[in-house]
Amino acid sequence: MPPRSPASLLDTVGSDGAVALPRPPLTPEDAARSQDRFRVHNARRNGRRWTLLWLLLGPGILAMLGENDGPSMISYATTGATYGLGFFLPFILVTFAMAVVCQEMCMRVGAVTHRGFGQLVLERFGPLWGWFSAGDLILTNLVTLIAEFVAIRIGLSFFHIGAGIAALLGIVLVVFTLSGGRYWRWERIVLGMAVFNGLFLVAALMTKPHWGAVGHAFITASPFPGGSFNTLLLLVASTIGATVTPWMIFFQQSASADKGLTPGDLKHGRYDTVVGAVLAALFGCGALIAGAALFGHGGSSIQGLAGAGFPGALKLVSGNAVATVFALGLIEAGAVAILTISASTGYAVGECIGVAHSFNNSTRKASVFYGANIGAALIAAVIILIPGAPLLSIALNANVLATVLLPVALVFLIMLANDRELMGKWANTAATNWIALTIVAFISVCGAAYGIDSFLQTVHLI
Amino acid sequence: MTASEEQELVMFLERDQLVADTSQPVARLVLSRRMSVALWTLRVFAVVVSAMVIYTFVSQLAH
Repeated sequence: MPPRSPASLLDTVGSDGAVALPRPPLTPEDAARSQDRFRVHNARRNGRRWTLLWLLLGPGILAMLGENDGPSMISYATTGATYGLGFFLPFILVTFAMAVVCQEMCMRVGAVTHRGFGQLVLERFGPLWGWFSAGDLILTNLVTLIAEFVAIRIGLSFFHIGAGIAALLGIVLVVFTLSGGRYWRWERIVLGMAVFNGLFLVAALMTKPHWGAVGHAFITASPFPGGSFNTLLLLVASTIGATVTPWMIFFQQSASADKGLTPGDLKHGRYDTVVGAVLAALFGCGALIAGAALFGHGGSSIQGLAGAGFPGALKLVSGNAVATVFALGLIEAGAVAILTISASTGYAVGECIGVAHSFNNSTRKASVFYGANIGAALIAAVIILIPGAPLLSIALNANVLATVLLPVALVFLIMLANDRELMGKWANTAATNWIALTIVAFISVCGAAYGIDSFLQTVHLI
Repeated sequence: MTASEEQELVMFLERDQLVADTSQPVARLVLSRRMSVALWTLRVFAVVVSAMVIYTFVSQLAH
């Protein structure tokens, strides 16, 4: 059969209705997806707007709250502890605005083509570029997954629970959510867990921040951080890597396709992405404000767990309740991200190898997809058991590495979103392209600035 | 699954959503020379900067 162009087929197919053309036989994956689409169809036909929104929410919120992960929250808290309230608060909003632009493109490409990012790059640009993209993803995902287990370990250690339990908890969670053979079930479980990302906002409120200073920081983006230029670059690159990353691109596009979104759902897909970004920005700012409670109390040199012992430090400054909420938040952030990042690994591996890659398949039918999901988490879990690992450094550098490798994935995403043969009338507008290319340039400069500056310092050239 | 049940379910999926369709590859794009050079430049940039970040991280570990 000759290769097909999804957009060309859409000319003969309605957005969500019946088609007169003969159809190939249904697979179990099709059957599961069509049951979800049946509910969407009913809600739309009966004008049940809130039900429709509830049914179509998911990939956007999960991508955004999944990225409010352990290293991101540690990064925000470190920024707050190092610089207090100031430039970084509005900077978080800017980075989430960038994330909305990027993630909307992922959702749109996934809904129009019904294919994941890895599959499209591989098929459209060839195996070399496809595997490069998958390789970048697997590398950053492994490092980030280690950082997620680190976050769970930090959170649990506050309750005097050891690293072994942290590793076991993460693996059990991955295996539990993967059982069931339905995308819908997996998505709803992870969404239910992601709600607890709000604990960081609760922690921030409990520290009783000076709201005048918070408002001043948002309005004036000041005070601008002083001190070490390299530390500032690290935290800028790390904050970007805390909001836009390669795994989010793979995840949201593949999850949108797996959920069965169609061009008729683009409006709700955008709501999903924006709601996710607003919640994530709110909770991210919460982590920074909570961390800022440590500013002026030796916050820049947090002791315990190789410099990442935020709950312990918060206990001394703000009390046991704040520390407990922050520790629980870290456990949640790490746990949700382990699930979403493992899923993006599974999607990428399945798409690039060309085997079944959907939560709507049984474990037997999609063994590679499920195997990659569990395997990635397993490797990361083993690494955190190594005694004396530099936990804060791993967490921050995981974000920086994601920032450095992100421009490549973004450029392919922009090319796919502009591909009129694939996207038809849903291709990018000129305005979207300008914004997206500006984001790529900005991220490239920030990543390169930290990489080059820190390298030159390390080899004593500056 | 009976034929009528299958017909009922299939009504709610678009044709190009079916596994039979998504498993067919889309046509390969022919990249212009300029685009290939731009992509390779970006790739080399990403690899070099990543190597710098990893080197710095490992050096910090050693100290």
